[in-house]
Amino acid sequence: MGWLIGVDVGGTFTDLFAFEPGTQRIVVHKVPSTPADPSEAIVAGLEQLASRHGVDLGGMARFAHGTTVATNALIQRRGGRLALVTTKGFRDLLEIGRQIRPRVYDIQTDYPPALIPREHRLEVDERIGSRGQVLGELLDAEAERVAFEVARLDVDGVAICMLFSFLNPEHERRVAEAIRRVKPELHLSVSSEVQPEFREYERLSTTVLNAYLQPQVTRYMERLGSAVGKLTPGAAIGINQSSGGLMSIDRASRFPVRTALSGPAAGVIGAAHVARLSGHPDIITFDMGGTSTDVCLVRGGKAEMSFGREVAGFPVRMPAIDIHTIGAGGGSIAHFGPDGLLKVGPESAGAVPGPACYGRGGTAPTVSDANVVLGRLPTELLGGDMRLDRNASVRAVQPIADKLAISLEAAALGIVRIVNANMMRAIRAVSIERGHDPRPFVLMPFGGAGALHAVELAEELGMRAVLVPPSPGILCAQGLVVADLKESFVATCRTPLAGDLAHVESELARLEARVRDWWQTEQIRPQEARRELVVDMRYIGQNYELGVAVPDSHGDGLPPAAELARLFHATHERNYGHHNAEAPIEIVNLRVTGIGRLPDIGAPKFDRGPARQEVRTRAVWFSGDGPVDARVHWRADLAPGTELDGPAIVEQLDATTTIPPGYRATVDAGLNLVIGAAS
Amino acid sequence: MTSTIDAITLEIVWNGLLSVTDECFITLMRSAYSTNIKERHDHSIAIADAKGRLIAQSQGSLPIHISSMTGLIEMLLKKHGNDIAEGDLFLANDPHVAGGTHLPDLNFAMPVFVEGRMVAIVANIAHHADVGGSAAGSMSGGLNEIWKEGLRIPVVRLMHRGVLDQDLMDIILLNMRLPDERRGDINAQIAACRLGVERVKALSDRHGLGLIETAFDEIVARSKARMKAEIRKIPDGRYAFEDVLDDDGLDARDVRFKLVVEKSGDRIVFDWTGSDAQVPGNVNLTFNATQSCVFFGLKAVLDPDLPNNQGVLDAVEIIAPLGTVANCVSPAAVALRANTCQRGIDVVLGALSQALPEKVIAAANGANTSAVFAGNDPVTGKPYVYLETLGGGMGARFTKDGKDGVQAGITNTSNLPVEAIEMEYPLRVLAYGFVEDSGGAGRTRGGLGIRRVVTPVGHDCEFSGVGERFVHQPWGLFGGEPGATGQFLLTNADGAMRRLPNKVRMPLRQGEQVTVETPGAGGYGPPAERAADATTEDARTGKFSAEFLARAYGKSD
Repeated sequence: MGWLIGVDVGGTFTDLFAFEPGTQRIVVHKVPSTPADPSEAIVAGLEQLASRHGVDLGGMARFAHGTTVATNALIQRRGGRLALVTTKGFRDLLEIGRQIRPRVYDIQTDYPPALIPREHRLEVDERIGSRGQVLGELLDAEAERVAFEVARLDVDGVAICMLFSFLNPEHERRVAEAIRRVKPELHLSVSSEVQPEFREYERLSTTVLNAYLQPQVTRYMERLGSAVGKLTPGAAIGINQSSGGLMSIDRASRFPVRTALSGPAAGVIGAAHVARLSGHPDIITFDMGGTSTDVCLVRGGKAEMSFGREVAGFPVRMPAIDIHTIGAGGGSIAHFGPDGLLKVGPESAGAVPGPACYGRGGTAPTVSDANVVLGRLPTELLGGDMRLDRNASVRAVQPIADKLAISLEAAALGIVRIVNANMMRAIRAVSIERGHDPRPFVLMPFGGAGALHAVELAEELGMRAVLVPPSPGILCAQGLVVADLKESFVATCRTPLAGDLAHVESELARLEARVRDWWQTEQIRPQEARRELVVDMRYIGQNYELGVAVPDSHGDGLPPAAELARLFHATHERNYGHHNAEAPIEIVNLRVTGIGRLPDIGAPKFDRGPARQEVRTRAVWFSGDGPVDARVHWRADLAPGTELDGPAIVEQLDATTTIPPGYRATVDAGLNLVIGAAS
Repeated sequence: MTSTIDAITLEIVWNGLLSVTDECFITLMRSAYSTNIKERHDHSIAIADAKGRLIAQSQGSLPIHISSMTGLIEMLLKKHGNDIAEGDLFLANDPHVAGGTHLPDLNFAMPVFVEGRMVAIVANIAHHADVGGSAAGSMSGGLNEIWKEGLRIPVVRLMHRGVLDQDLMDIILLNMRLPDERRGDINAQIAACRLGVERVKALSDRHGLGLIETAFDEIVARSKARMKAEIRKIPDGRYAFEDVLDDDGLDARDVRFKLVVEKSGDRIVFDWTGSDAQVPGNVNLTFNATQSCVFFGLKAVLDPDLPNNQGVLDAVEIIAPLGTVANCVSPAAVALRANTCQRGIDVVLGALSQALPEKVIAAANGANTSAVFAGNDPVTGKPYVYLETLGGGMGARFTKDGKDGVQAGITNTSNLPVEAIEMEYPLRVLAYGFVEDSGGAGRTRGGLGIRRVVTPVGHDCEFSGVGERFVHQPWGLFGGEPGATGQFLLTNADGAMRRLPNKVRMPLRQGEQVTVETPGAGGYGPPAERAADATTEDARTGKFSAEFLARAYGKSD
C-alpha cells in the first residue's frame, strides 16, 4: 500500500501528515495556509513532501482532507444566492424558526437573519400527509410554473424542502427535475436527500445551509480535485465529514453541510487512534486553543455522536462527532465582573494582539500570561522562534493582584483555577451530563494549551490519567490518515415497538441495500465493509428521541423487539438516571452508517526529532504555598520507558506539559507521555 | 460556621451552583414526557438556601417562573419550616396558598441535608398540559373562580423521607385528564430534584459547608449591590404609565394596569396603586407574577446578564394593593396570567421609556396567544390535548426593526413542529406564516404577527382560544405607529369566514378551519424618518402591501 496523506487546513498553518504502511515511516510537514484558495498551500505542501522528504506522490494511495472552506463561508456569510421552494403556506417558516429569541431577557438580540430573502421563497401547491400519503397532488404544470419562476431569479442555487418529504420524497424530486430541465446549471439541495428526517424547521435549515455552501464548496472541490489529481494520480481523495468519516469529492460538493466540523472531527479521530494504540480505548479529548476549547468523549475507541447541533447560529441535523466547544482558551482575558468577582473569558486576546507575553501590543491579562507568571510556560516557544515576555505578563496580571490585595502569583493561580473550572464544566457536559462517569477515562490534551492544564483537570475530576500524544499539534492531520470512509443514511418510520414491525424491517432493508450500493460504488472490499445501526426510540408520548446504538453482534436486520426495548431502557437509564420498564416504546428513526475501514496499518513510528540532551531547572508555582524547582525536559530527549517525577515541565515545539508534584510521567512505546499519580 | 471567601473561590462556587441548575434543567427536559416540557421548555430549576432565599436559577428559565419558585419555597418554610426531613419531597401549585402563579405549573422542592441539617432547597417547576378543571388544558378563558381551573394543591409532601405517598399521587392523577403523561412528567421532575440534591451535596463536600453557606450570603449581597449600581444609572424621577387588557374573558372590559415608578438614587419603587380591582375572569396576577413583570422589564433594559436571585429581587420595591389585578386574593381565577404579565411588562417598559428611551422597545405583541385543540383521536379512540402558544411581533427598537414572528416578554416557548403535530394528533396545519401589514410603521418598524390555520381530521373536536391585544393595538413609541391587533377566525366547510370571540371555547367540526392571527408590534420614531432602503425592503419582501406603505410612509411605488 502506498503513502497515506492527511492534510488539515488551519487558520495559520496547513499540516501534512504522511504515513507509509509497511515501513511505518512518518513525515510531518507544515506550510503557511493560503486562505484565499486553501488548495494552493496544499499543492505547495505536497510538492515539498516530495522534494524535501522523498515522498513518492505517484504511489500515493489516499489523500484525506479536513477543510474549513464551508465553516469560513458561513462565518463570513459568503455563501450562494438562493431560492427556496416549499409547501404552499409555509414560506415564512425559515424566518420564524422555533419562534424563540436567543436570550430570554435580551430584547435587542435576534437569531441571524434567514439566508434566503422572503421574495425568493416560493410556494408550490402540493401536500403530503403524516403517513406519506398524497393529500394534495403536485400537478406537472405547477412544478413547471415554479421551475420557470426560479429560473427568472438571480440565484446560484435552490433549496427544496416540503412537508413530510422524509416519508414521501416524490414531490421534492419532481420539482428538482423540473428545475433541472429549465436551468440545469443551478445547484440543487433537496431536503429528502440532504437529511430525510422529521421536524420540518431543522430539516429546512439544514437543507438551506447545504444550498448556501454548495457554490463555494463545489468550486473549491473542483480546484482541489484537479490540482491534487495531477500530483497524485493514483490517490483516492477523501474529504472529512463532521461525523469523522471520509466522503468523496463528489459527495462533498453535493452535501457540503456535512463538512461543517471537518477539522475538529479529524482531531478526535486522531486522538482516538493514538489512544487505542497505547491501550486506552476510553478517553476524553481536550483540545485547548487560543480562543476556544473542544472536548469530546471517546468510548471503546469510538467517539460519541450527535445528530443535531447549531452551526453559526442555525440548527443543523446531521451525524456529527459530539464535540462540545466553549469560548475559553489560552488567550481568554481575566477581568472583574459587575459583581466584583474575577472572571476569565469569553473575551479573548486572539492571535492579534494576543496575550501580553507575545509582545505584540496586548496588555490584557490572559490565561497564557498567568501561566508565564507561574513559570509553567517557558519564555521561549517553537524551539526558540518565539520569545515570551515575562515582564509584560507581570505587568498585565499585577492589577488583578492589586485589586484583590493578594500576591502576583496568587492572582495568576486564581486565573488558572477559574479557567480550569470552566474547562471542568465542559468535561462534565460531555461525561456526567450524558451519563458517563469520567473517572475511568483518560484525559488526552492537545492543541497549544491543553497539556498545561490537563493534570490539574484530571485530578479535580478524579480521572485515571493524562495522556499527551507525541505531537499534539498535528493530531488532526494524523486523524485524517486513519479515518474510515463513511456514509450515513436515515429513515423516519414512527412505529410502536409492540406493534407490527414489518414496515420498519423493510425500511431497514432498504437502507442496508443503499449501504451495499455505496460499498460497491466506493469499491470497498468485504473484509473492510461494516455497517452500524442506531435506532432512535422514545417512550410513546415523549417528543425527544434517544439514539440507541445496536451492537454489531446483532448482524444485519432489526434485532427482536424485546432486545430493542432492553437496549432503549439501558440507554435511557444511562442518560437520565431512570427508565420505565412498563411504558410502551416507539421507534422514530433508523440510522444506518456504511463504513469502509482502512486496513490495519499498524502504529506509526514517530521520530523523536533533534535531541538537546539537556535538563534545566525552573521555579514553578503549582500551589499558593510557593514556587518549587521543577526539572525542565525537552520532549525529544525522552526515550520510551523514561520516567519523570513531578515537579517537572516537558517542553516541545508545539506544546508544554506540566507535571505537578506527586505525579509521575512515563513515556510509552508510542512516545506518549502518560501521567498519573506517583504512588 | 462562618468562613470568609475570596473573589476567586466565590466565582468557582457560584458557577458550580449554576451548573447544577443547568444540569437539572437538561435532565428534566430530556426525561419529561410531554411536548410542553421537551419541545417548548416550559420549565425551570432553582436552588434556594435554608432561609428560602433564591440563590441560583437555570439559564434557560422562563421569567414567570422565578417568582413562582420563590413563592413556593416561602410558603414551604412558613408551613413546614421546622418539620422538614431529609428525603422529603414537596409539591404545590396553588397561587393563593402556595405561592404559585397558575395551576398548571407544578412546583417541586426537595431539601438538601448536610451534617444532619437542611442547608438548601432544590426546586423545579414545569407547566403541565392539563391539571383538571372545567376545560381540557386547564388554560381556558372565561373561568371565574380558581376551582374551575384545575386541581388546587397546597404545599404537600409527595414523599416522606424518600417514600412516595402513593395515595396522594393517585388523587392527583385521577384529577387530571392525561394521567400517564402526568406521571411521566412528575417522575422527571422528581428525578431532577434528586439530581440537584445530590449535586449540591457534592459541592458542599468539596468546598465545605461553612464556605458554601458563606457563598450564599455573598451571592445575595453582591447581586444586590450590582443591581443597586444598575438602578443608579436610571435618571431620578417619577415615571407613570398605564395600559389595559382587552377584557377578562367575561364581562370586564379594558382592565386597567396603572404604574408609577419613583426613582431616586439607588432606590426604585414600582407602585401599582390605581390598577383595577381584581376581576371575575381568570386574568388576575398574584403578587409573584407582578414581581416577575417588574423584574423582566428591569433586566431587559438594564442588563440581561443580571443574575436571577434574591439579591436582585430585594433591590427593588413593589407596591401592589391587595385585591387588585396586580395582587389578587382567593378565589380569584388566574390561569391566563401570562397574557396579563405581557401587559404588565408593556406598562413597565412604557414607564421606563421616559427614563431610558434608547433601551426600551415599543409594545411587542403583548399577548400569549393560545390555541388548544382537544378531542378523541378517531383512529386510536384516545383523548388528546394539543396546546400551543404563538409568538407575534417584537416591538421596534431604537436601532432596528422589531423581529417578526417571535415570542416576546414573559414567555419564550418554542412552537411545535407541524410534522410533530400531524403525526401526534388528528389535526392538519394548513398554513403557518406572517400576517402582512401587521407591524406598526416607524423609523424602525414593529414586527409582524403570526398566522396559523388548523383543521381537525376525520373527527369533530373542541377549540379553545385565548387572545389579547385583539382589541387594543400594541402601541408605538416616540411617534411610531401601533401594530395590528390579532384575531381568531372560523372558516366554514363552504368557505365562509367569520371572526370568533377573543376568548373562545367551541366545538370545531370536520371541514371547518380555525385561523389564529397574533398581534404585530408597535413602531419606534416617526415613520417619516424611516430610511428609503428599509421601506424598499418592506415592499420587496412583500411583508407590507403597497397600500400600507403609501399610507404610512407616503410611498407611491
